[in-house]
Amino acid sequence: MPKPIRVNGFAIHSPVHLSPGLWRHPRDRSLSVNTLAYWTDLARLLERGLFETLFIADGLGIHDVYGGSAEAALRRAAQVPKHDPMLLVSAMAAATEHLGFGVTASVSYEPPFTLARRFSTLDHLTEGRIAWNVVTGYSDAAARAVGQPGIAAHDTRYDIADEFLDVVYRLWEESWEDGAVLRDRARGLFADPARIHRIEHAGEHFRMQGIHLVEPSPQRTPFLFQAGASDRGRDFAAAHAEAVFLSDASRTAIAATVADTRARAAARGRDPSDILFFALVTVIVGRTEAEAHDKHRDYLAYVDPEGALALFSGWTGIDLSAYALDDPFPVLRRDNAIASVAESFGRAERRRSIREIVQEGAIGGRGPVLIGSPQQVADGLEAWMDETGIDGFNLSFAVTPEGYGEFIDLVVPELQRRGRYKTAYAPGSLRQKVFGEARRLLPPSHPAARFRRAAPPPAAARGSAPLPAEAPLSYPA
Amino acid sequence: MSRRELRLNAFHMHSPGHTWAGMWRHPRDASVRYTSLDYWTSLARTAERGLLDGIFLADVFGTYDVYGGNADAALAGAAQAPNADPLLVVPAMALVTSQVGFGVTANLTYEHPYQFARRFSTLDHLTDGRIGWNIVTGYLESGARGMGLPQARAHDTRYEAGEDFLEAAYKLWEGSWEDGAVVHDRAGSVYTRPDKVHRVRHEGPYYRVDARHLAEPSPQRTPVLYQAGTSSRGRAFAARHAECIFLNGHTKAIAGRSVRSIREAARDHGRDPYDILMFLGATVIVAPTRAEALDLRDEYARYLDVQGQLALVSGWTGIDLSTLGPEEALAYVKTNAMQSLVENLTLNTEHRFTVRDFAQFGPLGARAPFIVGAPGEVADELLSWAEEADVDGFNLTRVVVPETLEAFVDLVVPELQDRGVFKTRYREGTLREKLFPGTGARLKPSHPGAGFRRLAA
Repeated sequence: MPKPIRVNGFAIHSPVHLSPGLWRHPRDRSLSVNTLAYWTDLARLLERGLFETLFIADGLGIHDVYGGSAEAALRRAAQVPKHDPMLLVSAMAAATEHLGFGVTASVSYEPPFTLARRFSTLDHLTEGRIAWNVVTGYSDAAARAVGQPGIAAHDTRYDIADEFLDVVYRLWEESWEDGAVLRDRARGLFADPARIHRIEHAGEHFRMQGIHLVEPSPQRTPFLFQAGASDRGRDFAAAHAEAVFLSDASRTAIAATVADTRARAAARGRDPSDILFFALVTVIVGRTEAEAHDKHRDYLAYVDPEGALALFSGWTGIDLSAYALDDPFPVLRRDNAIASVAESFGRAERRRSIREIVQEGAIGGRGPVLIGSPQQVADGLEAWMDETGIDGFNLSFAVTPEGYGEFIDLVVPELQRRGRYKTAYAPGSLRQKVFGEARRLLPPSHPAARFRRAAPPPAAARGSAPLPAEAPLSYPA
Repeated sequence: MSRRELRLNAFHMHSPGHTWAGMWRHPRDASVRYTSLDYWTSLARTAERGLLDGIFLADVFGTYDVYGGNADAALAGAAQAPNADPLLVVPAMALVTSQVGFGVTANLTYEHPYQFARRFSTLDHLTDGRIGWNIVTGYLESGARGMGLPQARAHDTRYEAGEDFLEAAYKLWEGSWEDGAVVHDRAGSVYTRPDKVHRVRHEGPYYRVDARHLAEPSPQRTPVLYQAGTSSRGRAFAARHAECIFLNGHTKAIAGRSVRSIREAARDHGRDPYDILMFLGATVIVAPTRAEALDLRDEYARYLDVQGQLALVSGWTGIDLSTLGPEEALAYVKTNAMQSLVENLTLNTEHRFTVRDFAQFGPLGARAPFIVGAPGEVADELLSWAEEADVDGFNLTRVVVPETLEAFVDLVVPELQDRGVFKTRYREGTLREKLFPGTGARLKPSHPGAGFRRLAA
């Protein structure tokens, strides 16, 4: 039986994500991304479409490589303004029951102690529907913004991330034992202090001592997404990720990354199928092929080339304003941008021009755009699945929310008819929905699991200030 | 209205226990459900039903481990432990309400102004201008250690760093994006006019920022600023920055003294002393009759967790009360925790505070108004405190959730409305416009934050 196709909605808290200029389309709602209603409507829509999660990208910098300034990005709203994604979650969770939320947060600009608290809070509020997209940050602008001289070297960022994860794993998995929280009204014991442990960490990049501030949440460690496809990024994903997000227009390239990352995971003692791979895709679907192409033509009229150049320059670290549009896309490895992006343009079979790459990418960024009838789109998605070994897609849009809505109304039923798309959500936390009811927590093969304490000690211990079994509730009057 | 309008906030915290330890054990108390969204959405609906000005969320960064030298009493008694992030519950509460404001405590010591400013701008957008920030600098050593610091910053240094932090945040909120920078020009394909967005270059003693604010201007730009420190250094800080102040004080004289000194300091900074709204913490237990209210008080008192309560007071004062007997009095020491509280409990009081007093479910334990009675009596007392201490309103302390707040909304609010001292409908506009009618959504020109509006140069 072929693998089911899983889909995440892919978004950013900005009026432009991967299709610059489309905010001007008369049916597009991007100008209301700063309202709660936009996001609660979107979350309800994706839940109707049985999406796994809404995956929200983020980054702390402004794209300022193009022309050496932020001007183009600002003018075209190329991912600026960009608001905090984490603060959307509780409202969307209140409006839904099953949809997961994948929130991007960097390990470079916040200490483990506070980040762990934020994700534990969200895991509670969503009843186990939170995922963390672990990023190391790639933008020099973001580093300067917070007063750092510049961003750390690419591979060093992953070393920092490895250590960061060890600290948050300890906070999430080790600090509070199972059974530490009693909520025992009669005995007056909310928690058993003997089962709550102070984490002490003194490493190369981080140092902390403390009890995790939040009691264990349904998943403890949030569901872990990761998006690096570079060599070092694959190692990191193989070690930590439960899902990997990939963006590349080439199936061959995606297939190679999937196979290689799974092999690296197996070498680390993890089951290769414990990592799901999601590829970026944008779908423009009509009831007929002609209708879909009409729609595509209509969208193209709103594309903003300068916005696209600003985005591509930011992702690659290459100032494309220094070239003619018909020059071949430059092959320069800019260590401190997204290494895998530079790599992917460098190994194209045919050196394409900047104009070609940017025109294609002006809708949907670096991923493929599938245009056609529901059957054609379903064929395309199946081909991607079967040729690459991925597990599903991060679905981007040209026009929001219709890009999601039409996918849900037209493509999802077709995939369901083909037996490749679920017809109901599974119960439980996000991890349980994705990996089965037995997996509320990370499995023993995951590196976070090594921090769990073995058999808990008896509950009787109460530390140095024991309450009598029948504690006097107040001093005698 | 006969006197100036009374202002009211519901005082809450993202923890099973807040300032009265042990109430989570009360059979009707819902606090153990503090991690669920409907706990928060129903709190928000109740507050809005009662036309409360705001929901004021406390936060503490760390675990109370002064008492007995460890966190056992705090953890066992849920004395503000565990505690989760308060900012993250606001969007869900905003979704189910349209008027009530949110004053959220956030500790600036462990944040960078750049991301921090974006968080509050985001919330101001999502709440349509209903967000306030209660500025705190943190007093728990355990929080500092959690962040990898050897110890908390010294008390006065925390405020110096706070000044630096606020300056950087004002530049981002007020100065980075000019009015009119966002044009949404579809025809010209211009979302933002780049010439109207300015790069903030802040080189302070504690914080450096080199960036444009990542968020576009929100309705209020700078959130409504709350502050809670009433030590001498805290007062100077508040007099410059705060638009609302939260304070405690177990007598009208003590509370009044704090209020007077802040208002005077504000005048010294060129601000109208009444541009600052003063909120006094208040525990209110109300029932249709006085006898019923007294019964309720006695019932609640049975659930006070003595060790948990002493763990809280030890954390606030920085003094380990486990080393003292119940009848021993607190003596003044200079601590690195809440200095104003230590001063109020030792130097500035005629009452000699003993350890037993802190565990009393009453005025001494509250260190603030503790009012029990029928609706009319409660209204009398609130107004008398407001008059004599010159406060503008009250932060209503959480006791048993949700019934304490519901009783207040059902019984006291109508009484205050009948007396013409409480609004009968919300005003239009942002939280700032609701709190300060006629002044607009933005900081007043006399506020120091307004001085950063013209970064262009």
